[in-house]
Amino acid sequence: MSEAKLSPLDERHRALGAKMADFGGWAMPIEYPGGGVVREHTAVRERVGIFDVSHLGKATVQGEGALDFVNACLSNDLRKIEPGKAQYTMCCDESGGVVDDLIVYVKAEDDLFLIPNAANTAEVVRRLAEAAPEGINVRDAHEEFAVLAVQGPKSDEVVSALGLPVDHDYMSFDEAEWEGRPLTVCRTGYTGERGYELVSRWEDALALWDALLEAAAPYEGLPCGLGARDTLRTEMGYPLHGQDLSLEITPVQARAGWAVGWKKDSFWGKDALAKEKAEGPRRISRGLKLTGRGIPRAHCVVRSTEGEELGEVTSGTFSPTLGQGVALALMLPDVAEGDTVAVDVRGRLLEAVVTKPPFVEVQTRSN
Amino acid sequence: MSELQYPADLRYTEDHEWVADKGEGVVRVGITAYAQDALGDVVYVSLPSVGDSVTAGESCGEVESTKSVSDLYSPLDGEVVAVNDTLDAEPGTVNSDPYGSGWMFEIRPSDASAIDGLMDADAYTGSLD
Repeated sequence: MSEAKLSPLDERHRALGAKMADFGGWAMPIEYPGGGVVREHTAVRERVGIFDVSHLGKATVQGEGALDFVNACLSNDLRKIEPGKAQYTMCCDESGGVVDDLIVYVKAEDDLFLIPNAANTAEVVRRLAEAAPEGINVRDAHEEFAVLAVQGPKSDEVVSALGLPVDHDYMSFDEAEWEGRPLTVCRTGYTGERGYELVSRWEDALALWDALLEAAAPYEGLPCGLGARDTLRTEMGYPLHGQDLSLEITPVQARAGWAVGWKKDSFWGKDALAKEKAEGPRRISRGLKLTGRGIPRAHCVVRSTEGEELGEVTSGTFSPTLGQGVALALMLPDVAEGDTVAVDVRGRLLEAVVTKPPFVEVQTRSN
Repeated sequence: MSELQYPADLRYTEDHEWVADKGEGVVRVGITAYAQDALGDVVYVSLPSVGDSVTAGESCGEVESTKSVSDLYSPLDGEVVAVNDTLDAEPGTVNSDPYGSGWMFEIRPSDASAIDGLMDADAYTGSLD
């Protein structure tokens, strides 16, 4: 494997003594000492947490007709939003499989900013660049911008302490300036809490990180690693590409059809997805909540109480908020909410109830 | 990390468990500071039952953290005579006090002198480098 890429905050993470791990080819913090996943998770649910997510991809699509071009490629309908807003969407292949899920920020009709997953950015950029007509420029800007997430009920206090704009609508963004440095303040996140993602220039990330941690200190905010980010998103039932969405797991199966612009003339994978939707998918993603002790993990087999194989877990974890195991599982379509099933966790059959996510109340739009 | 401690009065295994001689033919077992640090926040411990026969090197339970799961092994042949039931409600004590209230189970080894065959603290810390 080639050497892991480093975040602009790498030296800060190592100075804090973070446990580092590979995320899509990037060496990123899983957790910080004195915190740990549960404490960091709780800080975000109750106060505020600061995450470095600079491994996430960044790309630009610019030129006349950029919005219509991207809208004819990606799944969701960009005509539902206006400039200044962001949208969750998917890049599918012709079979309906998901190359990546990403956020598109519409700056103007001719200027879009994309945040794909770290490991998939090059492929998304390649597909878009290959399809782009003359006059539209698709550019990989992975290491030009850093992304710092400020998430939790105290995130407004922290972001506004830096003199930055807050309280814009969920999924909208503002161009701002912090001490002379350009910055985009997005009301987005992957935790289910009220929060912001700040997109700065790569070289400004160190100063921004230090300022955010300082501003978070009065609220007992913590630097949070990607371990807590995963438990937070799993409690929300947010899919993770590579586990809950993939080239083999379509948006119809993952119940992400809300992010598909079915009425659009065309987008990549439309025919295959429309057919699958009409015929009914062969498997559907649903939530599971364990009734007793134990933690379901990805690839654990799910069975009916009679022992029939129903499917498998795609993401599973211990929910720090609930104090019990929760999971997303791809199962036969006739499995219904409220059903009792059994998850095979290393040979032990653990009882679980099919439960519609989120497992914990969503606070993204709360005040 | 440098602050992790390995008490000199304990014995250790390659599976990152410690063994304490409690006298009267009983030993107490837990996981080391290194093991709890590597696992991260422990959220669930599955222990053997009192009366179970256990075999050295074989799995007899599980320690699960937010991010991974690890088998718990019996360090010696013998019979389980006690388990730490408080870990059900307070699994985090494995992280905060791995050699004290975070202990896991006690066994009566079939060979009382078998504990002498385990590593001492110096040998164990040497194996971590």
